[in-house]
Amino acid sequence: MTQGHRRWGLPATVRTTLVALPLIVFAIAGVLAPVLAPADPTANDLAAGLLPPSADHLLGTDQLGRDQLSRILYGARISLAVTAAVLAISLAAGVVIGTVAGYLGGRVDRVISRLIDMAVSLPGMLVALAVIGVRGPGVENLVIALSLWAWAPYARIARARVAGLRGSPHLDALRLLGAGPVRVIGRHLLPPALAPCLVYASTDVGAIVLSVATLSFLGLGIPPPHAEWGQMLIEGRPYLASAWWLAYPPGIAITAVVFAGNLLGERLAGGDERPSILRWVRPARRPRHSIAPRPAPAGSPATSAAPAASAEDDVVLRVRDLSAGYPHGGGLRRVVAGVSYEVRRGRVLAIVGETGSGKTTSALAPFGLVDPGAVVTGSATLGGGAGALELMGRTPPERHRVNGRRVGVVFQDSLAALNPLRTVGAHVDEAVRNAGRGGRRAATRRVSEELLRLAGLPDPAVIAREFPHQLSGGMRQRVQIAIALAGEPELLVADEPTSALDVTVQAQLLDLLGRLRDELAMAMVVVSHDVAVISRLADSVAVMYAGRIVETGPLATVIGNPDHPYTRGLLDAVPRPGAAPGTRFRTMPGRSGAGPDDTGGCAFAPRCPIAVAACADDRPVLEAASTVAHRSACLRHPGGTALQPGTARERDRL
Amino acid sequence: MRAPGRLRFAGRYVTRWAVDTAGVLLALSAGTFALVLLARGDPAAILAATRAGRSATPEQIEAVRAELGLDAPAPVRYVRWLADASTGDFGLSLRTNTPVGPEIADRMGVTLGLVAGSAAVALVAGVAVGVAGAVLGRGPVRGALRGGALLATSVPAFWLSYLLVLVLALRLGLVPTSGMAGPATWVMPMAVLGLPAAGALSRVVAVTLREALDQPYVLAAQARGSGPVSIVLRDGLPNAAGPILSLAGVTVGSLLVGTVVVEQIFGWPGLGAYFVHAAAARDVPALQAAALALGGGFILANRLADVLQALIDPRSLRDAGGTGPRAAGRGRRPSRRGGTGPREEAT
Ligand code: SF4
Repeated sequence: MTQGHRRWGLPATVRTTLVALPLIVFAIAGVLAPVLAPADPTANDLAAGLLPPSADHLLGTDQLGRDQLSRILYGARISLAVTAAVLAISLAAGVVIGTVAGYLGGRVDRVISRLIDMAVSLPGMLVALAVIGVRGPGVENLVIALSLWAWAPYARIARARVAGLRGSPHLDALRLLGAGPVRVIGRHLLPPALAPCLVYASTDVGAIVLSVATLSFLGLGIPPPHAEWGQMLIEGRPYLASAWWLAYPPGIAITAVVFAGNLLGERLAGGDERPSILRWVRPARRPRHSIAPRPAPAGSPATSAAPAASAEDDVVLRVRDLSAGYPHGGGLRRVVAGVSYEVRRGRVLAIVGETGSGKTTSALAPFGLVDPGAVVTGSATLGGGAGALELMGRTPPERHRVNGRRVGVVFQDSLAALNPLRTVGAHVDEAVRNAGRGGRRAATRRVSEELLRLAGLPDPAVIAREFPHQLSGGMRQRVQIAIALAGEPELLVADEPTSALDVTVQAQLLDLLGRLRDELAMAMVVVSHDVAVISRLADSVAVMYAGRIVETGPLATVIGNPDHPYTRGLLDAVPRPGAAPGTRFRTMPGRSGAGPDDTGGCAFAPRCPIAVAACADDRPVLEAASTVAHRSACLRHPGGTALQPGTARERDRL
Repeated sequence: MRAPGRLRFAGRYVTRWAVDTAGVLLALSAGTFALVLLARGDPAAILAATRAGRSATPEQIEAVRAELGLDAPAPVRYVRWLADASTGDFGLSLRTNTPVGPEIADRMGVTLGLVAGSAAVALVAGVAVGVAGAVLGRGPVRGALRGGALLATSVPAFWLSYLLVLVLALRLGLVPTSGMAGPATWVMPMAVLGLPAAGALSRVVAVTLREALDQPYVLAAQARGSGPVSIVLRDGLPNAAGPILSLAGVTVGSLLVGTVVVEQIFGWPGLGAYFVHAAAARDVPALQAAALALGGGFILANRLADVLQALIDPRSLRDAGGTGPRAAGRGRRPSRRGGTGPREEAT
C-alpha cells in the first residue's frame, strides 16, 4: 500500500534501481574488466599460491597463484558476454517469431503457439545439458544451448502483445493506405512487442548467469583456463576448507546477480505488498480515547441514534462514540466518526445510507469484522446487567467467544461469504461446533439440519451436501441465516440481507427474519438501503451520511416526518411505508460525501438544497427534532416542528 | 448440475489432457532422438573404439554401424529407436558398451528417493514459511522471511552445497561430506535440493494464500467464531491450493532436473549424475535415455499437477458455464516462466 511504497522514503524508480544495482555492477565489471583488473587472470605464479587477501591481492590468490579479484572481474566479463549473446539471439528470434505468429494469426499462429508452449514446458537445464552433451563444451555451444530454450518466453510475450494489437483500427488504416506486411510488422508491431520483452530480459540476466555458472561447474560450460565463477568454484574445491577466499567471492557474486534478477522480476510482476484480512496484529491496541461509556459533554459532536436507555437490561447492544479509520499518510483517515446507537431485545434497528456512508463499518466494527489495520475507538457493550461485555479492545480469541455465540452475522454477498470448496453442511457444522453445540459428526449434522430447517430450507439433509454455487441466491442467504443462528445469538447483524435477490425472494426472507426476531426474541441490526427492508422490519432507523449519523428515530417518525434534508431527499420519490420490496431510495443528485473529516461543516452541504452559509463552517449536532426520540443533525431543522436546539437537560443525556 | 454432467466433464477433461500429454511426450522423444543428428563425431566410431580398446579399423566401425542400424534414414531410425525405447531398450552405452536401459532403471530409484525427500523438505518448509508470510503483518519477521525465501531461490545449488559441506561436514562433523550410505548422508542433498524449492514455493503460498484470505468468506468465518488456524486450514489453504499444486508440480519437475547437479556434487549413483557423465563423455545413447527419463518425469509432474488442480475444485467440474468468484484468477501456473528457467532447474 501507499505506506509500504514509502517505507524507505524513496521513489519507486530509485528503489528499482537499487534492486538492480548488482546487475549494473555486474555489467560495468564485465565491460571494464581489462581496465579494472589488477593482474592477468590467467597468469600463474606457483610461488604465490593460496595467499590470503592482502594489499597486493585484495581477494587473495588461488592454488596456481592467480589473482582472485582479477579472476572474479574476468568471470563477470565472460558471463556477461555469454549472457549478452544469449539474450541477443533469443530476443531477436523470440520477438520475430512471436510477432509473425501474432500478426498472421490463423493456422500459422496455432502451430507456432503450440511450438512455443512445448518449448516453454521443456526443462531448460536439461536441454542445455543435452545439447552440450552431444556438441561438446565451449563458448559457442554454450550460447547455442542456452538460446535454444531461452527464446520461447520472448516469443510468447511478443505474440500476446501483437495479437492484442492486430485488430486495432490503426493497423487497418495502415493497410488501407497500402503499407505492406513487412512495413507494418517492422515499423508498427516490432517496437511495441519489443518493449515488454526488454523488461523481461532484465530479469532473465540472473537466470542465464546461473545457467552458465552451473554448466561450467559441471565441466560442460566455459572450459579452463578461462576464469568463470562456477569454474573457479570447481577448481578451488580441494582448497575450500582452508582457503575461504576461494569459497566465498565467486558464490557471492553469482548469488548477488541472480538475487537481483529475481527481485527485479518480482518487483516488475507487482510483488505481494498487500497484507491479508487475516493478518496477525498486535492484540487490541488500546484506543487513545477512553473506551468506557461516558456522558458526552454538552454540545459534543458525538452523534447518537438513541437517547439514554431507561430499561438497561433490555439493551442488547449499545454503541457509543464509535469511530473507525485507517492509517493514512502519517495520520488517520476516518470512515466512521462518533457513531452511537443501541438496539433492544426483539427490536430491529435499520442503518441506512449510500454506499460508502460507513453503515457497514458501523455495524460490523464492534465485532472486529473489519480490516485488522483499521483503528477503531469508542465503546460497544453487548448485553445489559450482569452479562454486559465491553467489545472494544478484545483480542481475537476473546472475540471467538462472542462471534458465533452471542452474535450472528449475515453478509451481503452470499456467494462470496461461503467458502466455494466446502459444502453448505460443512459451514453450518463448523458454526455449530464453534458455538459449542456440536458433538459427534452425526449429532452435529443433526443440529445443522435443524438450523437449515429453521431458516426455511426444505430437505436440509440434501441441501447440506450441496456446494454454495449449486444453490440459488435466496437459498444461500437462508444458509447464512442458519449459520448465524447456530449460537442461538442475542443479536443478529445483517448487512444488506436482501440485495441482489428478486422481489418475491426478498419478501420471503424479510418474513423469515421478522418471524425469527419474534420467535427467538433476538435484537437485529440491519444495514440496508432498501426501503422495503426498513419499512417491513425495522422499529427504528439511523440514517448515515459521510460516516456520521444524520438522523435517527422511530421508523414511523423518520419515514413519515423526516427532518434532515438528506433523509427527505432519500424518501422523496418513494412511496411511504408498505413500499414494494426492492424499492430503493432515490439516488440523490450530486456526488456522495467522502469522509467524516473532509469538511469542518455539514458534510451534506454541497448537495443540500437548503444549505446556508453557516452550513459550511458549523458542524450540526444530533438534536431533538419532532420528538425527543427523533433527532437530526441539521442546522435548519426543516422538519419545522423542531423543539428548538434542545434543552440543556436533553443534551446532557446524549 | 448433477453427477452425470460433472462426470462427463471430468471424463472429457482427462481425455483431452491425456492426448495433450502424449503429444508433448512424443515431441520430447523426437527432440531427444534429434540429439543424435546434432552429435559431433561418429557414434559408430566411438563405440567401436570402446570395444576395441583403442582406435578401431574401418571394418570394425562399419560393422558397428550396421549393428546399430545407423545406415538407415533418420525417420526410420527414429521409429525404430522409439519402438525399442518403449520396451526399455535404449541401446548400448558408447562409454561402457553395456545396455543403457537396465542402468537407467537401477539409478531411477536413487533419484526418485532424493526427489521425494527434497519434495518433502520443500513442501513442509515452503508451506510453513508461506503461511507465516501471509498471516504476519508487515514487520521485520515477515521481511526476513521474504528475503530469506528469495535468497534461497537465488543461491546456486553447487555453492550452497559447498557452504553446507564446510559447516555441517567439515567444521561440525555432523554428516559425511558425500556418498549415499545412511540417513545422515541424505541431509545435505535433500537440503540443497529442497531449500531453494521451498523458497519458491513459499512465495507462491504467501501470495495465493493471502488472496484466499482476503475473500469475504474469511470475514464470514470470523463472524461465526472460527479461529485463525481453522480459517487457514479450512478456508485459506484449500482455496489457494490450485496455484500451490500447480507450482508443486513445477517444483517436483525441477527437483528431478536439479538432481543433475546435486547427485554430481554428493556422488550419488542416480540418474542425474548419469546424465552429466553421459554429457561429459558425449555418450549419445545414454544421454538420450537419461534425457527422456528426466524430461518425461519433468513434463509428467507438471501436467499431473494441472489435471489434479482441475479435478479437486468442485467449481471447475460444473457443466454450466458460470464462473466462481476466483475463476478468472486460476488456470495458468504462477511461475513467470512456467518452470523452464534455470531459476528452477539449476538449483
Ligand atoms: S446543516 Fe445545512 S447543509 Fe447540512 S443538511 Fe442542514 S441545511 Fe443542509
